[in-house]
Amino acid sequence: MTTEAPLLRLENISRSFGAIQALRDISFDIGRGEVVALLGDNGAGKSTLVKMISGGLEPSSGRIIYDGAERHFTSPADGKAAGIETVYQDLSLCTNVDVVANFFMGREIVKKYLGIPVLQEKAMEAVVAKALADAGTKIPSLRTNVEHLSGGQRQAIELNRFVHWGGKLVLLDEPFAALGVEQTRRGLDLIRRIADQGIGVIFITHIMSQAFQVADRMVVIRQGKVAGDVRREDTTADEIVQLITGEALGGRARNADRENGQAQPAA
Amino acid sequence: MVSSNRRAVIEFVLDHLVWFILIAVLTVFSLTIPNYFQIGIFANIVEQSTFVGTLAIGLSLLIIAGYMDLSIESVMALAAMVVGILFAKSGVGLGFGFTPAWLVVPISLAIALSVGAAVGASNAFFVVRLKMNSFIVTLAAYIWGRGLVVALSGGRSAQELPGELRFLAVERFLQIPLMAWIAILATLVFAFILNRTPFGRHLLMIGGNPTAAYRAGIKVDRLTATTFVLAGAIAGLAGWLLAIRTSGATANLGVGMLFQTFAAVVIGGVSLKGGVGSLPGVYAGVLLLASIQTAINLMGMPAHFTQLIQGGMVLVAVLLDTMKLSIRKRLA
Repeated sequence: MTTEAPLLRLENISRSFGAIQALRDISFDIGRGEVVALLGDNGAGKSTLVKMISGGLEPSSGRIIYDGAERHFTSPADGKAAGIETVYQDLSLCTNVDVVANFFMGREIVKKYLGIPVLQEKAMEAVVAKALADAGTKIPSLRTNVEHLSGGQRQAIELNRFVHWGGKLVLLDEPFAALGVEQTRRGLDLIRRIADQGIGVIFITHIMSQAFQVADRMVVIRQGKVAGDVRREDTTADEIVQLITGEALGGRARNADRENGQAQPAA
Repeated sequence: MVSSNRRAVIEFVLDHLVWFILIAVLTVFSLTIPNYFQIGIFANIVEQSTFVGTLAIGLSLLIIAGYMDLSIESVMALAAMVVGILFAKSGVGLGFGFTPAWLVVPISLAIALSVGAAVGASNAFFVVRLKMNSFIVTLAAYIWGRGLVVALSGGRSAQELPGELRFLAVERFLQIPLMAWIAILATLVFAFILNRTPFGRHLLMIGGNPTAAYRAGIKVDRLTATTFVLAGAIAGLAGWLLAIRTSGATANLGVGMLFQTFAAVVIGGVSLKGGVGSLPGVYAGVLLLASIQTAINLMGMPAHFTQLIQGGMVLVAVLLDTMKLSIRKRLA
């Protein structure tokens, strides 16, 4: 496929909590501009994996290679500084201030008068308007408080903010759980557009149709292991369901396992 | 769905509700109470608003950031007493003087601000470093602060501040004493800080969602601590002004102002949930309370009616806060 090094490569990642082994020998890659759907039943280990990628948890063993170098993130702040972030629907916005303020949270444009930093609202508004227009996101007024916006619009603000500030890999944990049909469709469009800007997207979902609409690849986790790593055009919903539940394990899954093994000669 | 124009109008009214109420109340009083409609009366309302108006700045900043400061009244009294003891000429006053004599103005101001900032820093230490509840920490400071005032003065009073200080209470500009202008100026300065600087913007964000602010790299703890120190220093400023006005200090100086301030802040539109409020609105709340008090005085009603009415107003204000929230929710 691509000749350049992947954006993120997980090599034999394992993680245990006491006697419980949550993840075993997880290996997969994600390229720039690639959308990977992470699928799996409840308790399969998806959330643990996402936490590890974003820096919230350290693996017990295995290597994380990101942007060409091995990384040891010890906190989400480390991950964030490197351009990896988990985008939640609400947690990272201040709903009591407007869209512009949220976009620039902690990075406001200021001009100093007599040493006093003064917010440059017009300049900031122009930047936000451009960033949202480039991403094809429509928000009625950038000066409305975020509390008046819909869940989908909030998500769009978060994602666009992430892209604007140099994000490279975004993790979305059940991004559309609380959204309606139309909002979900727009959200999926947005994911596609973000990936088209060269950003890697990993999104966790339960909903097969969403994965098939937007993902380039699907990685299925079952009982802490990669049960399948398949390209969208090479698979079917039935096969993915089988991979998730582990019933009637098909030949494709075994192939995927083997390919994974070949990907890391060190293993 | 509400049209965006109508929504903008409703939002504007909700955001500036206290100003509308103030205008309505002043109109009603002017029409119904003899002698209310006079420049002198209005100037007096502004003058009365000096101390509560100043205290309200610091309290508003902290409530907007999602915290509470009950210590301001005692901090104000403490700063006033320290200034009284050092510079007043009789009572417990030591009567320190300087050459040239006007030096007493900046020096006493610096001392008052430092006393306030010190108590604010102690509050900040307990709340930010030790993660204690700000309500309890500042309640304790409210109690020990007043205790310290009584202990320092031995329950006696300090009288006769030098004329250089009294100047600020005596001299008037547009019929309003200079010290009232100081309170107005402080309100404007902090309104600017709240609305136009990153510091103020970040305070609002911390009040709205501290987790998000933290995740965005805002130094939440440092900002919170700074705000406690600021609120203390502003209370120190109020104490300095109050000492100048009363030309000294008594052990029970300013008792009851905490609740007036609290009422004004809530009436002024600062949400107790944090993250919402503007300082001009709070000043309007202070003016509203003073207008009502003046009306009560003019009608010759006993002073305790003021307390009854103020208590009622606090309830109404909190009720309004809740109603505004539900109206906004319906708009969204």
